[in-house]
Amino acid sequence: MTHPRGAAAPLLSLVLVLAAALSLSGCGGRATTHHKPGTTHEEASGSSGTLLPARDESGHRLREVPAATAPTVRVEVRPDTEGGWNVHLTVERFRFTPDSTGGAALPGRGHARLLADGRETARLYGAWGYVPPGVRTLTVRLHADDHTVWAVAGAPVQATVRLDGTPAASAPPSATGTGTAAPPTTPPSATGTDTATTAPPTPLPSETGRTVTLTITGKTVQPPPDRIELKKGERLTLRVTGDRADTLHVHGYDRELPLSPGVPATLTLTADRTGLFEVETHDSGLLLTQLVVR
Amino acid sequence: MTGVPLAHGVGSRHDLPLSPFYAYAGAFTALLVSFLALGLLWSSSRFRGDEAGRPVPAALQRVADAPATRTTLRLLGAAAALLFLLHLLLGPDDPDRNPAPGALYVLLWVGLVPASLLLGPVWRLLNPLRTLHSLRPPRSPRPIPAALGIRPAAAGLLLFTWLELVAPDNTSTTTLLIALAVHAGVQLIGAARYGDRWFAHADPFEVYSSLLARLSPLGRRADGRLVLRSPFHSLDSTPQTPGLVATVCVLLGSTAYDGLSDNPRWITTLQTSSLDPTVTATLGLLAVVALVAAFYGLCAGALRLMDRSLTTPLTSFAHSLLPIALGYLVAHYFSLFVTEGPRTVIMAAGTDNALSPAPPLGPGGLATLQVAAIVTGHVLGVVAAHDRSVRLFPPARAVAGQLPLFVLMIAYTLGGIGLLIA
Repeated sequence: MTHPRGAAAPLLSLVLVLAAALSLSGCGGRATTHHKPGTTHEEASGSSGTLLPARDESGHRLREVPAATAPTVRVEVRPDTEGGWNVHLTVERFRFTPDSTGGAALPGRGHARLLADGRETARLYGAWGYVPPGVRTLTVRLHADDHTVWAVAGAPVQATVRLDGTPAASAPPSATGTGTAAPPTTPPSATGTDTATTAPPTPLPSETGRTVTLTITGKTVQPPPDRIELKKGERLTLRVTGDRADTLHVHGYDRELPLSPGVPATLTLTADRTGLFEVETHDSGLLLTQLVVR
Repeated sequence: MTGVPLAHGVGSRHDLPLSPFYAYAGAFTALLVSFLALGLLWSSSRFRGDEAGRPVPAALQRVADAPATRTTLRLLGAAAALLFLLHLLLGPDDPDRNPAPGALYVLLWVGLVPASLLLGPVWRLLNPLRTLHSLRPPRSPRPIPAALGIRPAAAGLLLFTWLELVAPDNTSTTTLLIALAVHAGVQLIGAARYGDRWFAHADPFEVYSSLLARLSPLGRRADGRLVLRSPFHSLDSTPQTPGLVATVCVLLGSTAYDGLSDNPRWITTLQTSSLDPTVTATLGLLAVVALVAAFYGLCAGALRLMDRSLTTPLTSFAHSLLPIALGYLVAHYFSLFVTEGPRTVIMAAGTDNALSPAPPLGPGGLATLQVAAIVTGHVLGVVAAHDRSVRLFPPARAVAGQLPLFVLMIAYTLGGIGLLIA
């Protein structure tokens, strides 16, 4: 500090007063300069597109824009090594504007919403996202900042992709637009020794590859430990019901699944490594089954 | 992991069961070669054991025998042991982040196989316990009782394979520290009493490495020269010490149990038996070793019946089982070594969450390698036994005399292939 001693004290008090004034004006009352023009909290300002009376499944109104200026979206998915799918959006005439979400609709701005099997599950504020395993159809829909749905000719701007459980062994399936991710194939049905008859039938096993149901009672596993023969790249869903809280562990793939007593838990994986792998419980140390991936 | 222990100590990927095609091809080859050998092989002994071999260049021998080389190897062994101990003491108690379990079960136990096959009995040169012992050698060591032979090493090998294949929590640092303390204690106390000859009789890793080195093309002739020679000569010179049969049976039996422990039916037995799984698994390991030994005993009895003059039927042919044991070891541990070995080294170099590299061979290639290893071991064993039997039996009975051995080897080989299918 090179200030002479006498000047320091008035300077300090001035700074304090200024700071107090600033903080008072920040807290007191509703700020009038908080919103930029046209970005109030009202749903529709009417300045971009035409608000239609129609609503989508989640109750959002559609906002019609001419096809020439309307945003478009394409979606690509690829299976994640831990199960589920990584989602990539390619948008045109559209910007993700997470910082003005809730503001008024501006042309070509907003966010995307993910609908898993028709139910809204997540928003995307950028090009990349993730969908957990078990989802069969993914729809991506573009919304404006005011949460209305961008629409062309009365239909939402969206892309749908089918998350088939049969990714090819070498190339992961990717699809664009509304096409399906992979041609529908009939996966091999589980053989008698692999599925238990005690558990309820599993819904639509074709979408997640093979489903194997296992039940643990004390130290016995039903069906008894055996081998599940899989082709490399095949999908496998394990439905496991334990009689105590435990953790299921698939060796080699290092996938874990918490088990609670009496509640069936499901784990889906893509068998992308060849070899013999053990499926065990951690606490009770039981071997449930072995995966033979050729 | 309290119930069923992981086979191999480390590694989460096991080899695929063999497809029947490879199994039948292997079994057929083994049978064919056995019967061809009976009729076609030479009728007077050809292997000259320690006398055989072409000397390596003198410069190479000088380098190999130089005190500086020996000291460097001792220091290397001691440094590796110190690193291992520090990882055990200070490292995390998690085989996925601590390289110590992999260093023991993969780099040492499996790595000694290729090292000994290429370079001879390497563990004798590296053994850190020998180094420790040489700091304070006893002034008047007692002679080792002749009946002891390598029996302590056979017991040590059985204990080690129990630790590897059966013991619960066999990768936890506590278990490994206890095992290390017991091993070091037994070896150092024995060496303090009997001098450093004790290690050659009692250190399981030294005996294991020395026996495998009997199949190395690099050997030492009776006159001390370092020589290159056919492994058959080295194999023929395997000393018939007491405990050789036991050691070979432990090697064969434990590797066979390793194959058995992947079988779902055996696992079901383990999990549903009223005994503790560890106890059942211990009994299983002992039973397999006993079964292997019983077969060998039967065979030796048959040999004795055929020729009363054969006084030591048990040890006379034990060396011919070494190639079979080697075939088992290669078939069971090859992929573990090439995947978990690099991973252990990567972990030791400080990489967190090291991924184990993909196996270099596809399922077909690996199956071919496994069957080829077992069949090659069988063929080498048959040839070694044939040569020994034409030396021991009178010419008229030489062919008939080796029949029990051939039956035994076929049983071991088919058993080995069978365990790879299961």
